[in-house]
Amino acid sequence: MQAIAAAPAVPALVTPALVTQQNMQAQTAPARPAGPLASGKRDAVGEPVARFFSATQLAALHRLCELLMPPMGGNPGAIEAGVPEFLDFHVGQSPADRQQMYRSGLELLNSRSAAKFGKAFAALDATQADAIIRPLLVLVPWQFELPKEPGARFMAAAHDDIRVATRNSREWTQAAIAAGRRPVGAQLYFFPVDPVYKG
Amino acid sequence: MPKQEFDVLIVGSGHSGGMAAQVLTQKGISCLMLDAGPEVNLATNRVSKNPWELPYRGMNKPGRLPHVVQANEFNANQWVDEKEIPYTHDPASPYNWVRVRMLGGRSLFWGRQSFRMSDWEFKSLDKEGVGDNWPISHADLDPFYSKVEGIFRVSGRKEGKAHFPDGNFLDADYGPDSTTVKKITEIAQGRGYLVSKIRASNGRNGQASSVNLLLPEAMATGKLQIVPNAIVRELTVDKNTGKVNGANFLDRHSKQELHVKARVVVLAAGSLESVRLLMNSGLANSSGMLGRYIIDQLYGVQVVASVPEARGGSAAEGLMGGTALLPRFRNLQKGEKNNFSKGYGMMIASGGAAQPGFFADYGESLQKKLDFHSGACMTASIYGERLPRFENHVRINKLVKDAWGIPVLHAEVKDSANEHNMAKDAADTAEDMLKAAGWDILSKTDKFHPPGYSIHEVGGARMGDDPKKSVLNKWNQSHDVKNLFQVDGGCFVTCGWQNTTLTMMALAMRSAEYLAEQMKTGVI
Ligand SMILES: Cc1cc2nc3c(=O)[nH]c(=O)nc-3n(C[C@H](O)[C@H](O)[C@H](O)COP(=O)(O)OP(=O)(O)OC[C@H]3O[C@@H](n4cnc5c(N)ncnc54)[C@H](O)[C@@H]3O)c2cc1C
Repeated sequence: MQAIAAAPAVPALVTPALVTQQNMQAQTAPARPAGPLASGKRDAVGEPVARFFSATQLAALHRLCELLMPPMGGNPGAIEAGVPEFLDFHVGQSPADRQQMYRSGLELLNSRSAAKFGKAFAALDATQADAIIRPLLVLVPWQFELPKEPGARFMAAAHDDIRVATRNSREWTQAAIAAGRRPVGAQLYFFPVDPVYKG
Repeated sequence: MPKQEFDVLIVGSGHSGGMAAQVLTQKGISCLMLDAGPEVNLATNRVSKNPWELPYRGMNKPGRLPHVVQANEFNANQWVDEKEIPYTHDPASPYNWVRVRMLGGRSLFWGRQSFRMSDWEFKSLDKEGVGDNWPISHADLDPFYSKVEGIFRVSGRKEGKAHFPDGNFLDADYGPDSTTVKKITEIAQGRGYLVSKIRASNGRNGQASSVNLLLPEAMATGKLQIVPNAIVRELTVDKNTGKVNGANFLDRHSKQELHVKARVVVLAAGSLESVRLLMNSGLANSSGMLGRYIIDQLYGVQVVASVPEARGGSAAEGLMGGTALLPRFRNLQKGEKNNFSKGYGMMIASGGAAQPGFFADYGESLQKKLDFHSGACMTASIYGERLPRFENHVRINKLVKDAWGIPVLHAEVKDSANEHNMAKDAADTAEDMLKAAGWDILSKTDKFHPPGYSIHEVGGARMGDDPKKSVLNKWNQSHDVKNLFQVDGGCFVTCGWQNTTLTMMALAMRSAEYLAEQMKTGVI
């Protein structure tokens, strides 16, 4: 009884001993780092998930990336830079005409490959693929307007996108740093300005 | 509580509004400046980033800013959001309107090339039988050009040529010409073309904007109040006198509408925004010319050649580098016959790179070609003068409103055979000169960007002596409403091949001095 009576009706949530321990922890806790706490980089931790292109379209894009922008001069190629998956995302976010241009361009690669070699573009060796790619490559002296012919249009756009997405990748920067070269491409980013109050 | 009536309301804080504010306040006139955008600290609002740190790997959010070719994912936030403040055009006749809404406007980001216009532009009709004359000549503007050049610290090389007037220049150290620049200079001079150098505003501390060169001086007088985030919807008019007496503006955030009173209104919202404002206010258009004769320059024609001795990284020191500027050289001589009027300037830059699109190739084979020509390229590009035409106009599209409920502009601006023939001549001429130097042409195009792309859009409220044919008089004052001025590029009668901003500022200064005088003597 006595023991029961001695027990507090409501147990103290925090014992005095614990409070002391917590205070001490607070006093000795490491100082907050100077930089941001959340400094992890999206591309460094995550694998992109492709959602836009069909499996056969994505396979064709993969092969196209391999061929148009292979690893060169110590720099990663488009595959190492995750370009097919990036373009799946980027084209997937684009206006309908760009989406259509890409989809039908990749289908064109597959249909011409099937007609000429009896297999998908992704399965072609480099010489076979060259026979499909070359006729679609045209000079683009005026870089602000794509060629009119749909196949050439797709090839010009995809070629440019693949090159830029590769050079703009984290892997490209890392390779430059590893080789003691100054990484290119960094620019001043302009933050959104005092956005309109949306309530 | 009745609010203060200001002497002058200035709408817009860019090069032209800033210049008007500086002159007026220094003459003791109290000014209120309203700008639609916020004040932005460029030092803290920008940070260096790698492209892959941005959501779209530096490749732009697809579909954002379809008309701003200059936009990329790094700078996308500095331009006006086209969804927030749209404008319309026929899809077959694109118009690229490149806008900034921030304190300082486009002066925060301009390229600073600073050329005077000459009497070949101011007296176009007399000299060439093309377009119309301005009611002023270079001699009228000369003292104002000189003062603006002083403030903006323009550097340049004097040439003593009437079609490329010299100015009040700081000495520019262009360094010795490289061998390739010397060679192209000889070839151009051999054809009778003047070869000069870029003239540029140096400004101070790396900036040549309204916010560092004009507005601080105006603020120091104690006569200027600036209200940011204040979108002027329309000017208001005293029914008894027909004069403007202020403006209604909207708070950018809350959209609350307020009225401000002023004895005089000076519009400096950028050529087309000022015209839009006048149209939405139903003012200054007894001539029917408001919104007409929209002009800008023709950019995009490009010819690239490769210098054999510089290929494969083998350029000897002093072979490559630097630029040559050829001020307009076509149609300056009496009796010269071309299949186009007016002319173009040409810039030839030494030491650039080839573009992938110059070769129908890919993979390692393409990369070898790019590496081989890297640093060995000579690139010629042009600044062409478009003709002013009545049909090229903007009007209000009542069916479309911006995020603040203000009707937007519809642009109907097209090129004619003159522009296409000029572009072809420019490409052929550049090719010819580069070939004559013994260099191999890698790429040639006579295509060019749609109107507006040069970001030198002018006209829409052109100046003139005849109130039936012009919106403003020679002092940038409305013919119809005497206490209303527009001091941006709206007043231009021709656009010249020269970048337009130096001329805009000289005109704004001249107009503000006139206005101050008129206010002092009580005429206004
Ligand atoms: C990238 C770039 C490079 C350039 N390079 C050159 C060059 O090398 N040489 C050259 O001569 N020119 C160049 N220009 C063009 C030059 O910047 C413009 O000609 C000049 O800045 C126009 O000045 P402005 O004051 O008339 O208009 P703006 O600078 O456009 O200023 C207008 C101001 O009005 C405000 N405003 C608009 N509507 C309203 C409204 N309804 N109510 C209140 N405020 C309003 C805006 O917020 C803005 O601040 C360049 C421009 C850019 C963007």
